[in-house]
Amino acid sequence: MNTNQNNKLAYLLMSPVLIYLLAVMVLPFGWALYLSFTNKVVGADAVFIGLGNYLELLQDSAFWKATWNTVVFTGVAVLFKTVFGMIMALVLNEKIIFRNTFRVLLFLPWTIPTIVSVFTWQWIYSDVGGVLNFLLLKVHLIDQPLGWLARPDLAMFSVILVNVWRGIPFMGIAILAGLQTVSKEMYEAAMLDGAGAVKRFWHMTLPSVKEVTILAAVMTTIWTLNDFEIIWLLTRGGPANATQVLSTLSYTIGFLNMSLGKAIAIAIMTMPPLILLINYVTKRSLSSRD
Amino acid sequence: MENKSIGKQVLVYGTLALLLIFALFPLYWMLNTSFKSQGEIYNMTPSFWPQVFSWSAYEKLLTEKGFLSNIKNSLYVSLIVSFLSILFSMLAAYAISKLQFKGRGFISRGILYAYLMPRAVLFIPLYMLVNAIGLSNSVYGLMLIYPTITIPYATWMLVSYFKSIPGEIEEAAMIDGCSRARTMWSVIFPLAAPGLAATFIFAFTLCWSEYLYALVIVTKTSDKTITLGLSDMIVGDVFAWGPLMGGSIIASIPVIIMYLFTSKYMVSGMTVGGVK
Repeated sequence: MNTNQNNKLAYLLMSPVLIYLLAVMVLPFGWALYLSFTNKVVGADAVFIGLGNYLELLQDSAFWKATWNTVVFTGVAVLFKTVFGMIMALVLNEKIIFRNTFRVLLFLPWTIPTIVSVFTWQWIYSDVGGVLNFLLLKVHLIDQPLGWLARPDLAMFSVILVNVWRGIPFMGIAILAGLQTVSKEMYEAAMLDGAGAVKRFWHMTLPSVKEVTILAAVMTTIWTLNDFEIIWLLTRGGPANATQVLSTLSYTIGFLNMSLGKAIAIAIMTMPPLILLINYVTKRSLSSRD
Repeated sequence: MENKSIGKQVLVYGTLALLLIFALFPLYWMLNTSFKSQGEIYNMTPSFWPQVFSWSAYEKLLTEKGFLSNIKNSLYVSLIVSFLSILFSMLAAYAISKLQFKGRGFISRGILYAYLMPRAVLFIPLYMLVNAIGLSNSVYGLMLIYPTITIPYATWMLVSYFKSIPGEIEEAAMIDGCSRARTMWSVIFPLAAPGLAATFIFAFTLCWSEYLYALVIVTKTSDKTITLGLSDMIVGDVFAWGPLMGGSIIASIPVIIMYLFTSKYMVSGMTVGGVK
């Protein structure tokens, strides 16, 4: 079959997908990009205002607060997901009984709908009848119920915990897949040489799963950076903006204050770091498969 | 040596136990709460097993509220979207994985980009699109935009899957006189059936669990999906924890069952084929 025929067949096969993605993803995105340079509000015509939205945001302390919160939320959550994911992978890589059953069970938090995990945690955190306060009171770690979602200094921790709970399995399974390609002989040789467990982990295990871990952590960062549901449903960005991140701020400005142009501008401002991260993943994934 | 290995066993199983408690406690708590009566739920001392097993939360869900219609809407949207997405994605994935053509690198990069593009960036453009063509406030609006989630995902998954099918099989069929299109349809697709099924299931769970797009597109009660139905059970600061936990169980069961059937495909699916 010659190249020309191949080209035609390929584009024929791809045409439904390509046309759909162009019409429903690329074009609306372009339109939105344009609207971010206007004062578009719901139900009114858009007037071009140049960089107005962007300049306004850069001078707005709420925007900077949300940016900082996004960095904290993402940074802390990804760090914990990576560390606990690594621990989960190391445990599951040992010769343990019912390994497959445990693997499936540990994976469950990742499979259930986000909204379900949010409500369950909200109930656990509750200051009326919540089981977390009950257990902590019982073991005398605290002496009065804490408002896990109501106190500005605790709310960020609480939303991060839910994100970490959902996200550990993804990291764990990805790292486990990497661990299983490490050769047993290498370990045995190192054991014979008298290398201790810590040394073996640091010099053999970690380097061999470094790539997988970084790739999975970058993907997790992309998702965490734009997490909306957990924060929106648990705190609406409150109390006193303590958990306001860019995605919830964008929703608030767009749908509660009806300023679509400005809301899009927020989303657009998150694009540069996002593009860097996505580029990293595409480069990695495409090079490893070809 | 003996001591050391016992110490290691204790460490491994101890860590495993802690991980299991952390992962499963919230699920157990959800189940536990859903079988309690309203009075027992609001006891200041929570009980770790329902004192009296009560189906009242489930009865309430399945009789008085619009929860059944939420389930029906979600099923309807998720099944149609997943089916059509797989149908078109498998054609595209076949081309990307098996044919050499101009622009192949660019297109496979674009698909991956579309897959990773977060919903928080796209929800306003998509909201405006759906509004502009008059599909806002209906499940059809969701059907129009949910493939932005499922198509890039399914295409990417299937590209990896098709690539794992050796080229010799196809060459043999073509030497026997099959055309390219016929080989694709009657040799490759049947061979890829398990991968197609797994991808269908994951696409289904993505739609089933979606919340943000549904939140901005649908406000009409009759067209709400299961995730909206759940969040509507919270009225102001009043939480009906019984029905909410019961509804959460109902929303989780289909995805957990589907996951149990396809768990072995999960790894490659999650890691966009880059991790092996």
